[in-house]
Amino acid sequence: MTQTTKPQEPNQKQKEVLTKKIDSHKAIIFDSGVLISFSMNGITHIIKNLKNVFKGKFLITSEVKKEVIDTPLKIRRFKLEALKVKELLNEGVIEMPSSLGIEDSEITNRTKEITGIANSIFEGGGKDIHLIDLGEASCLALGEILNEKGIKNVIAVDERTTRVLVESPENLRKFLEKKLHVKISLKKENLEFLKKFRIIRSPELIYVAYKKGIIKLEDSSALDALLYAVKYKGSSISESEIEEIKKIAEQK
Amino acid sequence: MQERENILRIFQETKEAVSKEDSAKIKNLSDKTTNSASLTHDPDNIAAAVIVYSLSKIIERQDYKKLPGWDKFYKIYLESIDRIIDALKKSDDEGYREGVKIIRKEISKLSGKLKERIQEVFRDASINKASRIYEHGISMERTARLLGVTLYELASYAGEKESPKILETKAIDVKTRIKTAMEIFG
Repeated sequence: MTQTTKPQEPNQKQKEVLTKKIDSHKAIIFDSGVLISFSMNGITHIIKNLKNVFKGKFLITSEVKKEVIDTPLKIRRFKLEALKVKELLNEGVIEMPSSLGIEDSEITNRTKEITGIANSIFEGGGKDIHLIDLGEASCLALGEILNEKGIKNVIAVDERTTRVLVESPENLRKFLEKKLHVKISLKKENLEFLKKFRIIRSPELIYVAYKKGIIKLEDSSALDALLYAVKYKGSSISESEIEEIKKIAEQK
Repeated sequence: MQERENILRIFQETKEAVSKEDSAKIKNLSDKTTNSASLTHDPDNIAAAVIVYSLSKIIERQDYKKLPGWDKFYKIYLESIDRIIDALKKSDDEGYREGVKIIRKEISKLSGKLKERIQEVFRDASINKASRIYEHGISMERTARLLGVTLYELASYAGEKESPKILETKAIDVKTRIKTAMEIFG
């Protein structure tokens, strides 16, 4: 005799799997600068609010964790900021890539490869110019791994060099040439891998939060204040770009 | 050591400027090491930049001269610069590094307010030089590591200074980046 059973409610483990499926199709990878900017400005609650409206993962790599939590926790002057970021991690607002089954060793290996390629793109004075370090490279490595897994992602980076390296290496070449006063050559064969990445900054996250109405600051100048606040804590954005963001926010 | 001749010239000119207490000239000289430090990431170049810049700040501050221990410290600082110049003339890299080490050791031997102030000067000099190297196109993390400063320190310092340099490297327009951000949030 065939027994018909009523579909059961998913148990806790199944719920977790279901949630994971929903949560795993897109991600934002946070570089150190963005977390530093939010924590130094005392606005990490905006990251929490953003996470509530984002149906995906906010991820950081171990290298970034080291820079924004582990190391500054040992320095009195930045302990509070580190604790604020740690709280985001403890609460699951930001997560480690292992939450998607990605092992640290996989990221470390890919980071080494990317560091090698990225730091040999430009040559000046007969030497490769070492432009980026492990934290920044680890974000690119994770982005690449997520791409391969079909997980849509963007990288949130505030510092200028990594961003321009990804978006316009030729602009960076010209900039380096001007600043370093040497002829800089560019290895085009090393550029292909950079085309896979998309980058946003703290100001764009602020814009999204503003448009979604999740900034709990009731004042007409709140957007202006927040955009300048992140700028002054290291986000690479010009005043004219800030003014443009404010105009766009008013238009739509 | 890379760019030895350049470093030697900078220290020689620094010594001359010290005798005239010309802090602006010394500060300017410290900037001349930034190009080679950005290009080579050579620790000897970086040390030179920090020592020379710190000296410019120390000379500026008349109030330091009243603090106990000042005369001895300043004498040893200048003697170390002489030692550094001699070593550079002889292409003696180890001698140069020894001169740098003596300065750092003397700072650690100081006490009271003078120690606090001088340590602060050196810390600020490292952050200033890190910010200058970042301006030259090296990433923030790489620069922080080279100078031994934290990303928190560098981010806020660079954030205050960076604006005019950004336009030169602008890559993607504001609308496109906002679109990217809005799209990922869905």
